[in-house]
Amino acid sequence: MSGRYRHLFWRLGAGALVLWGTVTLIFLAINLTPGDPAITLLGGPDALPTPAILHQVRAEYGFDQPLHVQYVHYLGRLLRGNLGISYRLHQPVAVLIAGQIGATAMLAVSAMAVGVVLALVVALATAKRAPWLTSLFAGIEVTLSSVPSFITGLILLLGFSFNLHLFPSSSTRGWTANILPTITLALPIAAVLAQVLRRELEDILEQPFILTARTRGLSEAGVRLGHALRHALVPALTIAGIMFAGLLSSAVVVETVFNRQGLGRMMADATTNRDVPLVLGIALLATAINILVNIAIDLINAVIDPRTERS
Amino acid sequence: MAALLAAGAARADAPLGLPSGGYREMQPGRPGGTLRVSVATDIGALDPHALSATNVQWIGRLLFDNLVYLDEQGLPAPWLATSWTISPDGKTYTFSLRDDVTFSDGAKFNAEAVLINMEHMRAPATKSPLAGTYIQPYASGRVVDEYTFEATLHAPYSPFLYVLAQSWLAMESPKVIKERPLSLNAHPIGSGPFILKNYTPQLGMIFIRRPDYNWSPPVTGHKGPAYLDRLEFEFVPDASVRYYSLASGEYDFTIDLPPQAGAAALANPALTVTNRVRMGCPNRAIAFNVAAPPFDDIRVRRAAGLAMDRNGIAQIAGFGLYRPIANFLSETTPFYDASASGALAYDPGQAKALLEEAGWTGRDAEGYRTKAGTRLAASVAIAVGVTSIPVIAEIQSDLRRVGFDLQLEALPTGMLLQQRTSGQYQAMSGGVWHTNTPDALYINYHGSQIPTFHLGGQNTSRLNDPVLNALLERARETTDTAALAALYAQAQARLIELVPAVPLYDNQSLIAFGSQVRGVIYDTSHETPHFETIWLQESTA
Repeated sequence: MSGRYRHLFWRLGAGALVLWGTVTLIFLAINLTPGDPAITLLGGPDALPTPAILHQVRAEYGFDQPLHVQYVHYLGRLLRGNLGISYRLHQPVAVLIAGQIGATAMLAVSAMAVGVVLALVVALATAKRAPWLTSLFAGIEVTLSSVPSFITGLILLLGFSFNLHLFPSSSTRGWTANILPTITLALPIAAVLAQVLRRELEDILEQPFILTARTRGLSEAGVRLGHALRHALVPALTIAGIMFAGLLSSAVVVETVFNRQGLGRMMADATTNRDVPLVLGIALLATAINILVNIAIDLINAVIDPRTERS
Repeated sequence: MAALLAAGAARADAPLGLPSGGYREMQPGRPGGTLRVSVATDIGALDPHALSATNVQWIGRLLFDNLVYLDEQGLPAPWLATSWTISPDGKTYTFSLRDDVTFSDGAKFNAEAVLINMEHMRAPATKSPLAGTYIQPYASGRVVDEYTFEATLHAPYSPFLYVLAQSWLAMESPKVIKERPLSLNAHPIGSGPFILKNYTPQLGMIFIRRPDYNWSPPVTGHKGPAYLDRLEFEFVPDASVRYYSLASGEYDFTIDLPPQAGAAALANPALTVTNRVRMGCPNRAIAFNVAAPPFDDIRVRRAAGLAMDRNGIAQIAGFGLYRPIANFLSETTPFYDASASGALAYDPGQAKALLEEAGWTGRDAEGYRTKAGTRLAASVAIAVGVTSIPVIAEIQSDLRRVGFDLQLEALPTGMLLQQRTSGQYQAMSGGVWHTNTPDALYINYHGSQIPTFHLGGQNTSRLNDPVLNALLERARETTDTAALAALYAQAQARLIELVPAVPLYDNQSLIAFGSQVRGVIYDTSHETPHFETIWLQESTA
């Protein structure tokens, strides 16, 4: 047991290093590309600030300091938990992220849940069945996992919102507005997971212990659910974890097409407007989520299949 | 093109005709109801003094009032200030104020409130990208008595009254400015016809009517509170979703009709499309750097201008909805001079002759002109994701036809800004400058407005012409209408001679709404809709 805690401790330590590296890289990337942060902060090419206002902004944000001084100040602020104030929204970055994270998390979790359930049902139902059935589903899965989500989203909107009027197009119109974006995000997840799960299941269903189970008179459903699935879950779960952590990037598109609140859309806006503190804040959060999800997957895999811990 | 014009002419607002009027309420409307409006982009923060965003143009009119409004001819007219006098030296403005106006937090509108607002606009802490600059000549203010305010300027500045009519220079609650100025970004408080009930970043804004509002600008002809109980704005960034959600009735109104959906919207009998031309400098896709070769030669600049097929470019940019224009001011701007507009009309033959005259007589293997073995070429810096690539590509192919090699240099905005302050470019993507006075010419072309590290100027042509500078300075110094008309006419003619950039098509406000929406009028400064006169016809269904 103490080995597991030591392992966890090292993983967290390595995670902190990765975070520091991320912050440093983004800080450098933003500050080494040419550009005048003071004009950017004041609204970019369309701003018309007086010399006094430009001077004020440069002094207030420390843009007139050497880069290493700005970097030390930035790290110091981060360590005190201060992510800074958004250039464009004039509010603390932490407050802005807190205001958006709920919407994206809810969308991500529900898309993940729908995706996993869909993948389980499809994989369990189609593994080692008639070749035409397997090929049909494999084809659908390849298509769904390769179509960009803004296309899926627009097709769903055109069909179900604007033509059939089944769902509203904007998230402000009640809970049914969550259905189409959830499906848009869930379809590629389900498609990829179903492929992995099916391949694993087909391998496992050939194993001798499955034959043993069948000879004990277990039903087909019992064999698949009770014996095969557990073994197929480890690789699928790893992929699911990576996909979950990557949902933030899909959320950028889905939140824009479906007019939703969320971190993805805020990230896109912040990037277009060069809102440096906000971009850094969200990037930091995305890195932290990736690290934590990876650690969580390790821990869950160890519980499902204790062999993974020894290897 | 002619067919398109004819088809459009059948509608209330012809898509390419110059819309006129529409600034005054024609008949009272029916009170009540909620209007659902889609908007392309979120605004992020809501203190107009700290913003330069386009959305402020109409959001400002919902929440706030201004000292001054423009009349239907575009000249200063009363609003919260009922009258004013200007001292003979042009430096002292004395405003008489309305005595019956309150802000929605109960604070009183008076001379003290005006003073606090003026100070807030120019305070460095406000970090104003626009309002502060527009009142830069403002030296000090004085409360003469409760309802008389006196502003003293460093120097005469004739645009002063005009800019005070713009939404970015609106009056905010003096109480909030004094007690918690930063909160104005999330909870703006004004004296306008609506109150912000809820602002959810990225999603939308809900406004409710202020029942005791009774101080619309007299020019609008509107009396009493707004008709609508409630206004629901939602941010719909995707252009096709914005059109389809309007056409399917999810919204009553869109502030930002995408030009690519313009033809569909015009053909849709359930929708009304209006297309208004903003004041100021029209779209000039490219500003030439007149301080660097090859555009330091006026004949090369003029030739490049004559080689651009304005109608084709406007068609590409606006899908048939943008008006081509060859003048440095839009037709709606006060003191626009029509006589200047023919000189830059599309004429590739004359463009070639000018290039020959400038010594670009040789031809290289690819057909481009040469002089002493050097190709006639220039690179134009454009902003990735901001500049319209099809428009620039069309200009590139137009110039190729006269033997000019225009190369595109796509840069991230930050790098573009760096080039802009350093002056290390041959040409740069241009854009528009909207302001409600011909002083837009000063902002875009006066020699003092060349961008540097210490000044975020807009004169990216880096033009510093003593004749033009003098005309624009003298126009700032006089408020005499006849003198202004003469000075601005000369300035427009001078710009046509100098060709620091090529005006191509108008800066337009495109909106569309369903047939249930009535009473739409437009702001005299910004050409955006004025929501207090809008009402909803009772649905017959």
